[in-house]
Amino acid sequence: MAYLSMGEAHRRITDYLSQFSTAVLNQDGPSLTPLLLVSSNSRLLVSLAHALDVFSDWLRLVDQADDQSQLLSEIVSPLFRCLQSFRAARFADAYVYFEKSANAFLQEFRNWESAWALEPLYGVAYEIRILAEKADRELASLGKNPEKLKAAGSYLMKGFGVLAGKSSKRVGALYVTCQLFKIYFKLGTVHLCRSVIRSIETARIFEFEEFPVRDKVTYMYYTGRLEVFNENFVAADEKLMYALMHCNPQRTANMRMILKYLIPVKLSIGILPKMWLLEKYNLVEYKDIVKALKMGDLRLLRHALVEHEERFLKSGVYLVLEKLELQVYQRLIKKIHIIQKQKDPAKAHQVKLETIVKALKWLELDMDIDEVECIVSILIYKNLMKGYFAHKSKVVVLRKQDPFPKLNGNPVSS
Amino acid sequence: MDKHLAAGRGGGSRGRGRKPGFYRGGSSYTVPSSSAPSWRPRRSDHTEPVTGSQAISDPSPSIPEQDIKSEHEFLIGTCPDMCPEKERAQRERLRDLSVFERLNGNPGRTSPSLAVKKFCRTMSTLHLQTSDIRPPSVLQNTLKYLLGLLESTSHPFDVVHDFIFDRTRSIRQDLTMQQIINEQAIDMYEEIVKFHITSHCKLARYSGKSDESSLYYLNMEQLMKCLLSIFDMYDMARRSKGVIKNEAEFRSYYVLLHLGCKIPTMGNSLSSWFCRIPFSILQSEEMCLARTLLRYYRMGDYKQFISTTATRASHLQLCLLEPFLNEVRAQALAYINLCGYKVNPYPLTHLSKLLMIQEQDLESLCSACGLETCIDEAGTKLLPAKQTSFSLPKLGFQSYGLLNRDTC
Repeated sequence: MAYLSMGEAHRRITDYLSQFSTAVLNQDGPSLTPLLLVSSNSRLLVSLAHALDVFSDWLRLVDQADDQSQLLSEIVSPLFRCLQSFRAARFADAYVYFEKSANAFLQEFRNWESAWALEPLYGVAYEIRILAEKADRELASLGKNPEKLKAAGSYLMKGFGVLAGKSSKRVGALYVTCQLFKIYFKLGTVHLCRSVIRSIETARIFEFEEFPVRDKVTYMYYTGRLEVFNENFVAADEKLMYALMHCNPQRTANMRMILKYLIPVKLSIGILPKMWLLEKYNLVEYKDIVKALKMGDLRLLRHALVEHEERFLKSGVYLVLEKLELQVYQRLIKKIHIIQKQKDPAKAHQVKLETIVKALKWLELDMDIDEVECIVSILIYKNLMKGYFAHKSKVVVLRKQDPFPKLNGNPVSS
Repeated sequence: MDKHLAAGRGGGSRGRGRKPGFYRGGSSYTVPSSSAPSWRPRRSDHTEPVTGSQAISDPSPSIPEQDIKSEHEFLIGTCPDMCPEKERAQRERLRDLSVFERLNGNPGRTSPSLAVKKFCRTMSTLHLQTSDIRPPSVLQNTLKYLLGLLESTSHPFDVVHDFIFDRTRSIRQDLTMQQIINEQAIDMYEEIVKFHITSHCKLARYSGKSDESSLYYLNMEQLMKCLLSIFDMYDMARRSKGVIKNEAEFRSYYVLLHLGCKIPTMGNSLSSWFCRIPFSILQSEEMCLARTLLRYYRMGDYKQFISTTATRASHLQLCLLEPFLNEVRAQALAYINLCGYKVNPYPLTHLSKLLMIQEQDLESLCSACGLETCIDEAGTKLLPAKQTSFSLPKLGFQSYGLLNRDTC
């Protein structure tokens, strides 16, 4: 790196302090934000970090600037230390300093009348999460307990509390909520989302339509995922469809993320996606699942679940996809019924259990007749099939009218 | 173990004539080092692999029943007995001694070999001394003693259970306060989990109407808490590159506990839980079985659920599964009743083989579900379909085991 003189270092630091105080005095949110984004590795902050290393007496400059222009040294001083730690790749230390700065910022933010500093607050909320993630990776690699992400969650809850008022700042609450969601999902403590969701959806001060579209899409994506976890498919469909319809189509990565959860939901309510959609968004892991459902191919379903097991488990949709098994059985028996109808229309509505046993054997699934009777009774009980089974004659008797009802947007009854 | 034991003994000898301890002033924790020579703060400068005697020095704040809010310092207990002397004397005065703690049956007398420290709900750290806390080796011996009481035949099970329940909770409390997370602590927690699992089965069977039994639910609650604590310990041990022998087994117990819909959700859904489990654990034999049973249960596949449980479940897995067997059997009755052919009733003999239940127990279950059975001219017992009187028992199920397999 080029040699940095003491004079040049001094100039860089005073320039930053000047920009900071000017942004605050002018209530210029967009100008203040980049000054806070430590992990952005912007040229400005990288050169500032270098200057801080050279000019070790920078605290005096901060104090002087504070005297002159009501600079907020409680925000800036720990921010400088954070920057130095970050550049030295000491992320846990960087996090601690940033949280200190962020708390001072939040205190000032609370006192500022208008919502001019909303964008800088977004920056702080984003940054504290990013730094916490880096810090926790560092702590984990040292064999220590990674606890910074949890601390960041506590900070964001405070931020949410500050925003949840009658002032115009409240439109920022959804952004902070979404950053909280990202933390809870990462930590695996998604049940903590519940109380925030209750606030957003029931508190009188919040009008959902007032929030920025970008934040609404993210919110609906995460709350939709929660509904998937709890297998509330109708609600999940509604939320994820909202996210999909309002998502910027140019953001194909985001579209894919939404579809990754929406497709299992649609499958669960009996709606199959077109193959071109799966190909367009590179959702190849769902191809064989969809094919298995169309063909009634239980073996293919099993194979697809095994092939993509790790991916499905990690994304949290494995148990949802496993449940599609009943629909595949329904499809298989329906095909047997159709074939039988062509051969002998008079006996079309009586399917021998032994025939189903043979079909399953052809699919390399060895099931005895008691097992098939069990499956048939489940299908009838859950309204995937209309009719009854006769144990004595080992036959399932299908209703003449619409023996295999479609789900039509409703999940299989439990 | 030796390290901690040595520290405890060393402290004891240096502090002869005085009661070494520490005091907490205000909201921050301070150690007056001059007056407590036996205890000193420890900071971990580097991390070593977890061994039998090495403690991980960065505990998880999510470990339950944690009272001391120290970031880098923790205490090492010095109490040599199963119960601190001070507590013994106090409980003698108050005549607060369990039947297992009375010397020669005297409700006002106990001894170091009988008394076991009680779980304290409102543990105060203000006057806590290291002599109030039992070190790991003493905790280990205490646990061994407690589990030995399970073989007692002179007291009803619920009395034995109640005592061990409380005292194992105290052991966990002592482990938490010392923030010990090593192989020894994990072993102890696993033994306590096993106790709760066998109790789960016994309580479900003996209580008759298990939903009404508060013992059953309290045991379930602590079982779940114990498991969640163990999982935190596994995660921490993995970060320290420690050896974890039984993780797959104990993770599988958590999955099996989610079979019923009435389990209190102490955390997240299984789908979100699976996201964070190492894939190698999810693919283990124990977890694959648990996941397979979960699939059968969720689908309603009573045939496979019961037969797979009978042939593949381990003893402890079977203990957890037994309360669900009759739930599944009742579901099977619901299917047959609704979907069966009215003209040809279902033979009870065949059904009892399918559901792996004694025929007379099956008749009791039918009756509990509001279903009547009948006998044909040949003397064969039958279950007619399409009975409108069917209903799932609201007060839970009597618990029957499986044909040819013993549980608790």
